[in-house]
Amino acid sequence: MEPILETNGLRVEYRVQNGQGPKVAVRDLNLAVYPGEVFGFLGPNGAGKTTTMNVLLGFVIATGGSARLFGVDVREPIARQRIGYLPELTYYYKFLTVEELLRFYARVFGLSRDEADRRIDGLLKLVELEHARKRPIKTYSKGMQQRVGLAQALINNPDLLILDEPTSGLDPLGRMKVREIIQRLKREGKTVFFSSHELGEVETVCDRVAIINEGELKVVGRVSELVESHQANLEQIFLSMIGYKPEPVV
Amino acid sequence: MNIVTALSGVVIKELYRRKDFYVLFILTALITLVMGSISFFNDARIARYLKEICLMLIWISALVIATTTTARQIPAERENRTIFPLLAKPVTRWHVVAGKFLGCWLASGMALVVFYFFFAVVSGTRDSHWPLLQYAQIVLLHWAMLAVVISLTLLGSVILSAPSSNMTICLVFVLGILLLGRHLNQVALEQPEPIRSLIYLVYYVIPHLEWYDVRDLIIYEHKLIAWSDCALAGLYAFVYSGFLLMGTWLAFRRKPLHL
Amino acid sequence: MAGVSTQTFASVKSRTIYFWILSLLLVLSFTLATVLQPRAGTWTSRSGAENVLKVVLGDGRRLFANHFFVQADVSFHSGYYPSIFDHTALPKDSSPMIADSEQHDEHAGHACQGEHDHNSAKCSDDHAGCAHDHGEKGHEHDPHEKAMSFLGTPRDWVEAFGRRFMITEHTHLSAGNEREMLPWLKLSAELDPQRVDSYTVAAYWLRTLGKVDEAERFLRDGWRNNPNSYEILFELGRLYHEARKDIERTRNIWELALAKWGEQQANSDEPDLRALSQIAIHLGRMEESEGRLVRAVELLQLAQKASPNPEVLAKDIEELKHKATLPVKAP
Ligand SMILES: Nc1ncnc2c1ncn2[C@@H]1O[C@H](COP(=O)(O)OP(=O)(O)OP(=O)(O)O)[C@@H](O)[C@H]1O
Ligand SMILES: [Mg+2]
Repeated sequence: MEPILETNGLRVEYRVQNGQGPKVAVRDLNLAVYPGEVFGFLGPNGAGKTTTMNVLLGFVIATGGSARLFGVDVREPIARQRIGYLPELTYYYKFLTVEELLRFYARVFGLSRDEADRRIDGLLKLVELEHARKRPIKTYSKGMQQRVGLAQALINNPDLLILDEPTSGLDPLGRMKVREIIQRLKREGKTVFFSSHELGEVETVCDRVAIINEGELKVVGRVSELVESHQANLEQIFLSMIGYKPEPVV
Repeated sequence: MNIVTALSGVVIKELYRRKDFYVLFILTALITLVMGSISFFNDARIARYLKEICLMLIWISALVIATTTTARQIPAERENRTIFPLLAKPVTRWHVVAGKFLGCWLASGMALVVFYFFFAVVSGTRDSHWPLLQYAQIVLLHWAMLAVVISLTLLGSVILSAPSSNMTICLVFVLGILLLGRHLNQVALEQPEPIRSLIYLVYYVIPHLEWYDVRDLIIYEHKLIAWSDCALAGLYAFVYSGFLLMGTWLAFRRKPLHL
Repeated sequence: MAGVSTQTFASVKSRTIYFWILSLLLVLSFTLATVLQPRAGTWTSRSGAENVLKVVLGDGRRLFANHFFVQADVSFHSGYYPSIFDHTALPKDSSPMIADSEQHDEHAGHACQGEHDHNSAKCSDDHAGCAHDHGEKGHEHDPHEKAMSFLGTPRDWVEAFGRRFMITEHTHLSAGNEREMLPWLKLSAELDPQRVDSYTVAAYWLRTLGKVDEAERFLRDGWRNNPNSYEILFELGRLYHEARKDIERTRNIWELALAKWGEQQANSDEPDLRALSQIAIHLGRMEESEGRLVRAVELLQLAQKASPNPEVLAKDIEELKHKATLPVKAP
């Protein structure tokens, strides 16, 4: 089966002003995500998760290696026609209402008016923002804004979702909802590629996970197989992969 | 094209949801009405000074609206990170540049219509003279000029990161051209050689925005400008804006999005 | 999602800042545009001695008054007006006019005596008293006409094309449209009440437009602000003479004007001879028609002394003397 998302020897360097050499954020990364999977992308802060996603979306140009979506190089705009993306930190046009915002994105995808109306109604119901649909986004709470992000990521009914920490900033109920949405998308046959620090949620929703540390891929595989082969739960695996040694108990 | 118009729709919404436009319009209207209420030697037929003042205010307001709206577009997209979900869609940076330009241009065109409508009402009630074709010319020429101003500001906004400095530089540049552009060749001729060629070069390179300032023709009830000349001027503005937008795209194409 | 609150805060703050920048810029650009408008011709003030810097620092209001005064002249020419750049091309002798005030001659009404040799001063004294057409037809060799043909042939295509969007004909307001200059003169007088020519020019046109009461009121305002101005007195006298036919008053005022002239100018290095000759001629002609020939001769002789081409008056004086059968007396 052809991977829907693929990186080969991906390397990303950032120029830094401090006079030392460039900062390597991602080194020699090989990833393959197949259709219908829910893929968890794990790593500590600063591991290079967001950077990898930025390459996939064409925001950052890779220093080396290649990245493809649907078999198309990520630098081609057409590669982004069938994906939905939820950024890590985002503010949307604050002076628009959520309805206007979604209509704008729908137009960007060339959806017809009726189609857009239908999708917007459905999405607002899904993320539970119907009551606030006529309010400008600047009046929203943090969690509401995060849900706006989810709604806009789904506006084009994408086949591949790239979600950067979709549950951060949400209360337990909100996280639960996001998990449900991810599971529902999986049932619909979508592919989800998401990063997270919530190992419990990763364990419940993911088919496969990858753990990176300091830009390097440490481990990749099915959650169940990893747990079996390491004889430990995901959290313990994660901690050992990033080189954490527990303090000896005195 | 759909993407470009969608982007411009957001810009237009932004303009009329912000205070700037209303503040400037009310200011213009207020000053004009106050000046109009002064009785000069009990002669109610005196009108030209009022036209002069009103048009001056309209020109300043339009310039301020065009530059402030344009200068913050791309920097705000980056600062608020709205550029990320946008470019994650099948939107190229060229779309962003073109959409922002179109939005700002249409928005300032709408503002112009409102301003000039006010002007027409004020001057029409004064001297019951309604030269509608002439108004059409002044609005169109003004609008064509704003296309150059907007694309210039857009270029500035991807080169200079601070919108306020970009805005100031663009305003000074545009005002400079409006006031002095016409005379640079004369200035050049009075200079010794290396400087003369240099000034002449500048003279040919700068956009000649002063052409589009036909306020005097309205104020002093002059005859219409030939429509062919208007079309040529429009073409010049179009080509010039095209070059500036191309430059904007070239500068923006490889620019890192993170601040 | 960290940082939401700080960013929101920052953006709220930046919006108010934008607003202030905006307002500031508006004020700034308005000021700038008014001040820098290249038409604002000479920045030198009435006395001619101060430099630009001194005017700007000393009294900004005067600068604006000057701008509005020039604007009146622009308006008189329907927007066809030289800029500071065009001035550099004018002949040198066109600038000494600056210090002059309005009332030299029959062209007294023109607002534009300031920057260029426009007032046809050279041909003025000879036919004092006769009413000229201010439509300014003909006058091919008029210095004003010469100064106002500043455009010349276009130097390049940019200029040539630009001409199509400009006013390129030298015309003067007529048929009652002269009223359009009045607001600028009024503003100029409001801003700089010591600027005498604002009053005299406005009064001239008000009188011409038949608004005698307004002219009188405005001149009296000017007189109150400038009690020693022989220019204003002269204009006021003309109003009483030509519009009100009040000989007695006219005589008093013009005599007062002569006295004021004597107080201020008689001992100056460069006396304002043109004003003197004008007052003297007008008063002389009036006295002549009133039959007070002795005084008339005195005045015309005074005018002759002040005139740049005295020979024109010589014949008139001879005739008058003859009429009065007076012995010839050297002035
Ligand atoms: N624009 C940039 N310029 C320079 N260095 C950067 C830039 N963006 C990220 N980095 C560096 O690259 C490394 C990877 O960052 P990245 O944002 O990809 O981490 P992450 O895995 O998403 O972390 P987190 O879990 O905190 O979101 C970090 O060391 C970071 O400091
Ligand atoms: Mg991250």
